[in-house]
Amino acid sequence: MREHGMGEAAKMDLARANALLDEVNRQPTLARIATAARELVGHARDLAPVALRLACTSSYTFDPIKPALQLQGLRAGFALETYVGPYGQFDRELIDPASGLAQFSPQVVVLAVRLADVCPAIYESFNSLSESEGRGLLDDWFSRLESALRTFRQRSDAHVFVTDYDLPAAPALGLADRSATFSQEALIRGANDRLRQLAASMSNVHVLDYDALVARHGRATWSDRRMALYARIPVSAANYWSFAGFLVRHLRPLYGLTRKVLVLDADNTLWGGVLGDVGLDGIALGPDYPGSAFTAFQRRVLDLYHRGIVLCIASKNEPGTVQEALEKHPNMVLRPRHFAAMRVNWEPKPKNLQELADDLNLGIDSFVFMDDSDVECELMRQTLPQVLTITLPKEPAEYAAVVEALDCFDQWKISSEDRKRGELYRAEAGRKQLAAAAVDMPTFYRQLEMKVALRVNDTSQVARAAQMTNRTNQFNMHTIRYAEDDVRKFMSDSGSEVVTLALSDRFGDNGVVGLAVIRKKPHEWVLHQFLMSCRILGRTVEKAFIAWIAGRAKVAGAKELVGEFVPTAKNKPFSGFYASCGFLPGEPEGAVQRMVLSLASADVTLPDWITLEVETGLEHT
Amino acid sequence: MSAGNAERFKSVVSAILGVSPQEVSDDLTPDSVDTWDSLNQINLIGALEQEFGVTLAAQNLGDYMTVALLKKLLVEHGVEL
Repeated sequence: MREHGMGEAAKMDLARANALLDEVNRQPTLARIATAARELVGHARDLAPVALRLACTSSYTFDPIKPALQLQGLRAGFALETYVGPYGQFDRELIDPASGLAQFSPQVVVLAVRLADVCPAIYESFNSLSESEGRGLLDDWFSRLESALRTFRQRSDAHVFVTDYDLPAAPALGLADRSATFSQEALIRGANDRLRQLAASMSNVHVLDYDALVARHGRATWSDRRMALYARIPVSAANYWSFAGFLVRHLRPLYGLTRKVLVLDADNTLWGGVLGDVGLDGIALGPDYPGSAFTAFQRRVLDLYHRGIVLCIASKNEPGTVQEALEKHPNMVLRPRHFAAMRVNWEPKPKNLQELADDLNLGIDSFVFMDDSDVECELMRQTLPQVLTITLPKEPAEYAAVVEALDCFDQWKISSEDRKRGELYRAEAGRKQLAAAAVDMPTFYRQLEMKVALRVNDTSQVARAAQMTNRTNQFNMHTIRYAEDDVRKFMSDSGSEVVTLALSDRFGDNGVVGLAVIRKKPHEWVLHQFLMSCRILGRTVEKAFIAWIAGRAKVAGAKELVGEFVPTAKNKPFSGFYASCGFLPGEPEGAVQRMVLSLASADVTLPDWITLEVETGLEHT
Repeated sequence: MSAGNAERFKSVVSAILGVSPQEVSDDLTPDSVDTWDSLNQINLIGALEQEFGVTLAAQNLGDYMTVALLKKLLVEHGVEL
């Protein structure tokens, strides 16, 4: 009997795939997951921008989670190729170079080990343990874990996600656990602290807060005891979807799939009622319900702004009315300064979003759109399926919870650049006005009073440099994602250097917006990575950066500067960048196009409108 | 009611095993469908539990199952089929 599936027949359309995934997400039963997986997984490469090899090795049966994992991956933009190792053999899988996991050569490994599986006495017969026995069990486990992880790390750079340990639904001493000198919960919490210390001591090992996940869903119902005992699946079927979503949530920020912009509708989204009908005094916004629901929603959105999410408005209203409401309403939490751009008009919203994306120089696939109208949302889903469209619930009191539950903006770390991103985009509006007024471009550049600060191998820049490799999709010549340890290696290696570029001008400080990772050889310097935040393009800074590096290479005695370019779906608009700087095509190396600048004839002067300041950290001789 | 349940039953079995609903008959056994492995055996039981809001006893999970036996099990747990 054959499986009936789509096979290779029709190419799956993104809007239809999203609709199917939304349907599963609303009611993630096993039957729906199985059906959607059969229909979609074969088309994953067409639907998702990032292909990723993910291996799972665990102390329990992980296979049943796989379809949910692949679908949650698709929802986030991943075409996951998965490998699930035989349960209980995680040591061997990690250590043995001939293991299935090793042969699979994963980019990410999920190590899902329950403490209840490796130290069952701590969970099942805690009261019969002495304190030293309990601690001894943990010592044994951690030395086993550490040796497996370190052995694996010698062979592979893959990210390793380790799930932490969930507390029991009911501690063995009952109420007395809290006051006991040897407490079960305290012992397990201590194991979690230890797990975090171990991860911090190794590169690219991350701890996932599995305990918090279990607690959110309810410790008592997370597992189905029959399935746990019979099939060794400690997650009930009702929770496969949440578990898979939890795992994928941690992958997004590592592969440039974090969204950046939230576009909000105004009427019945930011406030209750239709501004054009009821006027400024008639909208619901304030201390009492239903106004309080909208105030609460705006507060959550403001908190997104303060972690670096760019806010915009797309509203069907008379131009000017929304701006006036934001300025004048006494209970408004979000004010005009919090919005990077607004589109208040009667045009279709997809058109407005596309314009916003062009204005902000951000990919449309980094946008989230929120509206209370089913019609507007459906139009957006059909027209721009790359946008994450969220229909607000009927009950405004639930709006705040919708913002709280968003995981598409997640990052592993927040930088100071993130916290002031809102100001950066406002300053951009000032620059645009200046550009419109200036007679010619050089005049505009001079009026900007640009100051560029370059830092060479400065370890204080490691976090931001790594973050830039993960967030930058468009002006990114090679698109290799780095963890902080990778950046540190390039900084400390005498054969390479890492240069960060910070830009400020009369409108404000843009922070660190450019990165170059250079491999230095006597004859040639290679721009292994070269990327800039799209926000600051078009001000000659990117070319000045190249000129400065070329000058430095020349002084060092190199004959050529080589730019490595690898085309992706996102960096196409900049595929001609190296050529525009005078680089000529060289011999390609596999997927890498090598563009070569002959330093003998290269112009390495910087434009007069850029003031340069250079700080070198660790200088190699 | 039971006609509706029969359709729901077929649709769940079809979803999990990847066969068309028309192919879901009492004769279907793990030996006649490639996709009916031990993993899908568990998935079948889990999916039917979700569909009909029942909980089956753990001892049934490991039994040799056929479509006819699955139906019998559901009927024993109060589902009209």
